[in-house]
This record gives sequence, structure tokens and C-alpha cells, in this order.
Amino acid sequence: MSTDALKLLAALQHGDSFFPSGGVAFSLGLEALRDDGRVNDAAGVERMIAAQITDRWASCDRAFIAAAYGAPDLDRVIALDHRLDAMTLPRELREGSRRNGGALLRVHAELGTPRATDYRAMVRSDAAPGHLPIVQGLVLSGVGLGRDEALGIAAHTFTVGLLAAALRLGLIGHVKAQAALHRLHAVIEAALNTPLPAPEEAHTFTPLTEIAVMRHETLSGRLFAN
Amino acid sequence: MRTEIITKMAPLAAKRIGPARVGIGGPVGSGKTALIEALVPRLIKQGYDIAVVTNDIATREDAERLQRSGLIAPERVVGVETGACPHTVIREDPTLNLEAVDLLDRRFPKLDLVIVESGGDNLASTFSLDLVDYWLFVIDIAGGGDIPRKRGPGVLQCDLLVVNKTDLAPHVRVNMDEVRRDVALARGKKPALFTNCLTGDGIDEVIAELRRSVLLDA
Repeated sequence: MSTDALKLLAALQHGDSFFPSGGVAFSLGLEALRDDGRVNDAAGVERMIAAQITDRWASCDRAFIAAAYGAPDLDRVIALDHRLDAMTLPRELREGSRRNGGALLRVHAELGTPRATDYRAMVRSDAAPGHLPIVQGLVLSGVGLGRDEALGIAAHTFTVGLLAAALRLGLIGHVKAQAALHRLHAVIEAALNTPLPAPEEAHTFTPLTEIAVMRHETLSGRLFAN
Repeated sequence: MRTEIITKMAPLAAKRIGPARVGIGGPVGSGKTALIEALVPRLIKQGYDIAVVTNDIATREDAERLQRSGLIAPERVVGVETGACPHTVIREDPTLNLEAVDLLDRRFPKLDLVIVESGGDNLASTFSLDLVDYWLFVIDIAGGGDIPRKRGPGVLQCDLLVVNKTDLAPHVRVNMDEVRRDVALARGKKPALFTNCLTGDGIDEVIAELRRSVLLDA
């Protein structure tokens, strides 16, 4: 098999929701937005996700994924991890990102991905929070994917995770979800083409969703962890 | 009581392998939580160090029911959200459950056993063999006498089938002789036990099976 084909297959493996990461438990505020009547249909889901890609993923998560990907040593990774922790104000987003990152890191440690076992030991000893974007940068570098592929995979799993949550919340059907994903590819492409922010410049602006996440903490009936 | 294992690869370093992990699955309402409520006090009385992970669907009801039960210290019960995918979190992607087991293992270093309760399944659900060492599937007589005959993967593949609420058979027009015959046919050489979790009937037999097959001290 050609090297290109192997690279494609590796990217598909790590971008597939079949790869275990715990992501199924998180809606990143969508459940509370649905309960508040702020997102009611497929169009609303698509708008919410587009905003999340542009104003959270591209301007913040992406910066940390890329920085962790290129970090020269684990001390730098830990510093990035703490910075992202300090930036993530809503508790359920912060804890969800740590749980999701911890679960992904666990699988990579078990698979023998370089540096995953060492970093997991630091997370388990509370020396590092283990946020998802940090872990993604670390392990996607470790499995030999290029940085652009790593960012594309992370953008894809972020988008698909939200669409799958929307489907399970009854907000969108399986066909409309695929149509929305196709249109969101343009949003992802535009996001990936903006200058990569340094972690020190990273920022988010999704106030409605962040408030929804904070309100989610006290919902009585809830399918998702955030 | 814990079985310490010295691996062949590292004979000089006794490696602690962590608590035994036992899954309890089965349809909604079959008595998974009631079985845990029956097992836990008896296992604690017998000297076992225990914790529980629950997978509630839309609430923390099962976790809170156990935490408030007085049967086990509340901090020994952890609830894991399933994102409306109760099958996924015990089968294709059990990582959050494994992380919860790890958390309990770090919090209580002498644990013998962690029970992982699924969030309520249909007859097709099974546990990942990387999540649990052993798993029970709980069905109940009130759910219909034909469940063993339907031979779902849960009934066929589990390590121990528990048929609960046997006392209800006359009230739901189920012939227990037929059920016992169908269970024997479906299970072959694999064990199946009959319980009434509310009165405790059959619970000692479940514990004996766990001690023999999982805790390895009987």
C-alpha cells in the first residue's frame, strides 16, 4: 500500500467517532440551548455549530492543539494545559474538556502512542489538567500525522460530535445532519485559513452557549455531561 | 482478600492490577439497581471493599438512589453520563466508565470490586471485554416469559444471567417451568440464577458465583 493511502487511513482512524474518546457524553451547551428554546431545529443547530467553530474552536482550541503538537517537551505541554484551564470559565466546559481529554489520552496510552503514557501519569497525579485540545495535539503528533491533518481531524471531530449530539437531542435528522456537515466544511476551511493564533492570543466569544452551559449544571433531566 | 498477581514479565515487582470490574446490564426496570442494593451490603459484610459506577440515562437517579441508600458510602458511587448512548458507553466507547473506575481506585486504594451498572439496555447490549472482567445480564419475569427464548446477545453472551422477580410469575401469567427450560436451552453450560432481589431470594447464589468466578477466593 502506498504511503499516501496509509496516511489517509490513519487520518480516517483518528477522525472517526469509532475511535474511543468519551466524546459521546458531551453536547457543549447544546442540550441546555435546546431546553431554553434557543435552538429548535436543524437550521439553529447549524448556526450554533458554525459559531462554535469560528468563535471557539478556530480562535482558541486550534491554537492549543497546534502549540501542543509542536511543543518541544512535556513541561511546555503542561504550561499550555494550565493556560487553557484558566481560560475555560464555565465549569462544565472545563470539566468536560478534562474528562474528554483524559479518556482520549487513556486509549492512546494503552495503544502505546509516544508520550501518551508519560503525560497520562502527569494528569493522574494532578500535575496537568489534561484538556482535550492539548491531548489532541500531543497524540495526533505522536501517531505521526502532520499538523494540518491533526487540525483537520480535530475540527472534524468537534463538528461531528456536536451534530451527533443534536441528532440524539431530536433537533436534526440523519440526512439533514450530513447536509449540514457538508456546508460546515466551508466554515471549517475558512477557519483553518485564518492565521493561527498563538496560545497567548487565544480567545473565545460564545456568551449565549457559555451561559447555557452554566445553566446546564442545574438541569434536572439531562442526557449529556455539559 | 485481593488477589495480587505477579506477572511473568516482572517477577520482582508485584504488580497491583486494580479491583475486579463487574458489569451489570439488562433492560430498564429489570432490577439492576435492586440487585446492586441486595449485593452490596452482603459483600461489605463479608469483608469486601466495594465501589459502584452507574450510567444513568437522563438523571442521576440511580447514582443518588445508591448514595442515599445508606448501604454504601456516597463517595463510593460515581455517576457517568451517557449522552443518550447507554450501549456505546459500555461497549464501543467505555473510556469514561474506565476513567470513573480509575478515579474510585485512586480514591480507595484497597478496592476489591467495582460494579459498573449500565444505563438500561435492550436485549442486544453487551459489555466491552476491555471494560469489565465479568458481566451479569438481568432480565425479569414481568418483562415477559419469552425473553430467554428470544436469545438476545445479552442473554446469550453474559457470564451470568440473572432472572429476577420470579415471585411475579403467577401475576403475569408466566409459566416458570417453561422459563427455566428456555433459560437452560439458551445458556447451555453458562450459569443462570433466579432471584427476587426485594426479598433476597437467590442473592447468596449470585455472590457465590461472583466469589468463584471473579473474586477467586471461593
